[in-house]
Amino acid sequence: MNPNNPRPVPGFFRLVGAVWYRHYRVYQNHFTTNSFPTVIEPLILMLSFGWGLAQVVGNSMGGLDYLSFIAPAQAMMAAVYTSAFDESYGTYFRMMVDHNYDAMLSTPVSVSEVFWGELLYTGTKGAFFSAVVVAVLSCFGIIHSFWAVLVPVVGFFTAIAFGSLGLFAARLVKNINQFNFFISGIISPLILFSGTFFSLERMPAGPALVAKVLPLYYFIDVSRMLTTGHFTDDLYIAIPYMVTVPLVMGFFAVRNMKAKLVQ
Amino acid sequence: MATKPLIQARQVIKNYDDFRAVDGVDFTVQPGECFGFLGPNGAGKSTLMKMIYCCSPRGGGELSIFGQDPDKSPAQIKNRMGVVAQTDNLDEDVNVTQNLQIYGGYFGIPRKTLNEKIQELLAFMALEAKATAGIRELSGGMKRRLVIARALLNDPDLIILDEPTTGLDPQVRHLIWAKMRELKAKGVTILLTTHYMEEAHELCDRLLVMDKGKVLAMGKPDELVKNNLPAYVLELPGIKKEEVPLTGTLQVELHGDKLFVFAAAPSELEKVALQFKGQLRIRTTGLEDLFLKLTGRDLHESE
Repeated sequence: MNPNNPRPVPGFFRLVGAVWYRHYRVYQNHFTTNSFPTVIEPLILMLSFGWGLAQVVGNSMGGLDYLSFIAPAQAMMAAVYTSAFDESYGTYFRMMVDHNYDAMLSTPVSVSEVFWGELLYTGTKGAFFSAVVVAVLSCFGIIHSFWAVLVPVVGFFTAIAFGSLGLFAARLVKNINQFNFFISGIISPLILFSGTFFSLERMPAGPALVAKVLPLYYFIDVSRMLTTGHFTDDLYIAIPYMVTVPLVMGFFAVRNMKAKLVQ
Repeated sequence: MATKPLIQARQVIKNYDDFRAVDGVDFTVQPGECFGFLGPNGAGKSTLMKMIYCCSPRGGGELSIFGQDPDKSPAQIKNRMGVVAQTDNLDEDVNVTQNLQIYGGYFGIPRKTLNEKIQELLAFMALEAKATAGIRELSGGMKRRLVIARALLNDPDLIILDEPTTGLDPQVRHLIWAKMRELKAKGVTILLTTHYMEEAHELCDRLLVMDKGKVLAMGKPDELVKNNLPAYVLELPGIKKEEVPLTGTLQVELHGDKLFVFAAAPSELEKVALQFKGQLRIRTTGLEDLFLKLTGRDLHESE
């Protein structure tokens, strides 16, 4: 009602922040419920593997005891699950059921800001949950280095990568049942073949190479260096990979959502 | 009029695959006007609204809002606009005030200004008592009022209301109308789609009737009726067209099971009415008659 002095249009980062804040505020109410699996699952896995498998495996995974070997991978799994689910099922519901995006898009917010805001939020959650896992596991004496405080940074990028995959799924599915293809067909294999529960050296060279190129391997690789304090030359590939790949995936995921939402 | 139009649409087109939802629509809206869109479901009204609030790029023609192109400056346009969509797309997991705080963030409104504005708007839409209520506790009418309050956070120069009172009780409807008139008095331009002729008549300075993506008629509500229909109508339920002899200025239209007989003077209709004793009801013609006349026939054909 003041046409001579209209409020300036907020910039990109301000709007991304506004969307981030929306998710933070809205999902805060479900925080305890959503944190439960993140805290409880590593504990259960530790007990199960500690009593069972770890004793059989011994120190055969790169000289590490088995629990120390899988600890960093669990931190990344927490980031993967939270982001992959948030951005697939969550996005689908926001889009098709609650029409939240329609509300956002009738303000100065654009599709890029909506989804970069979401990816940033899911990244934050990924960072937070991987931090929780590291904290929980440190009680078992299987976090060996102070570098582990940087694991949440890796969790952040992991979550952006898997959140982007989730967005692709949300765009493609015709109904929520089809997310089964995404979870069982893409997320589960990525989790099982990315140096999570066994070292890639044990895989045939071809599949091992494929596993290395796909997202998750390097994230787990870096996390493992951080929790063990044992750094290898892989770091020079892993760090650039960790930063670039999620951003590129995010870029295409956001572009893909634009085609879906602006029709 | 000397003032620059707030919205200008020339031959606007929208295609979805091989379906043309909006087919060469022309209209202008002046600042401060309340402009209404009438049309049956699927007429293209909502699509047109979406194009105006920059959520649907046009397939052809020219469109400008505040003198700006929605394809080029969507954020600038939306920054000065308030949108009330057909569905109540509120954030259901947070309370009333938090909904408004979150939405205010999308306009970059500073926290302190925003909180003052929220108080003001909750009072304006009679929702103060619900400030900390959860969305699921609200009735349909309250949700709608909240969505309207939300659309006013940025002090918009233009408000777009897509069927704002559909499914609401008469009290809420009258409250919403009163608020719209208050806003209009402050100089806010209002764009409205509705299925309620009463609403169109109450609020709109000018109307556009559309169907199948095309404009059928446009003008001031009373003039539209006057220019398109005789002044009086007689409703005859259960009577067939052939039963009424068409003399003088008589015209007939059948809608559902009811025959509408139109004439310039009531005396002509009285004669017809005498023929069908006990069922006569003569009244002046209104928007509903016009709407049925313009869009009703097509409905029959497509069924």
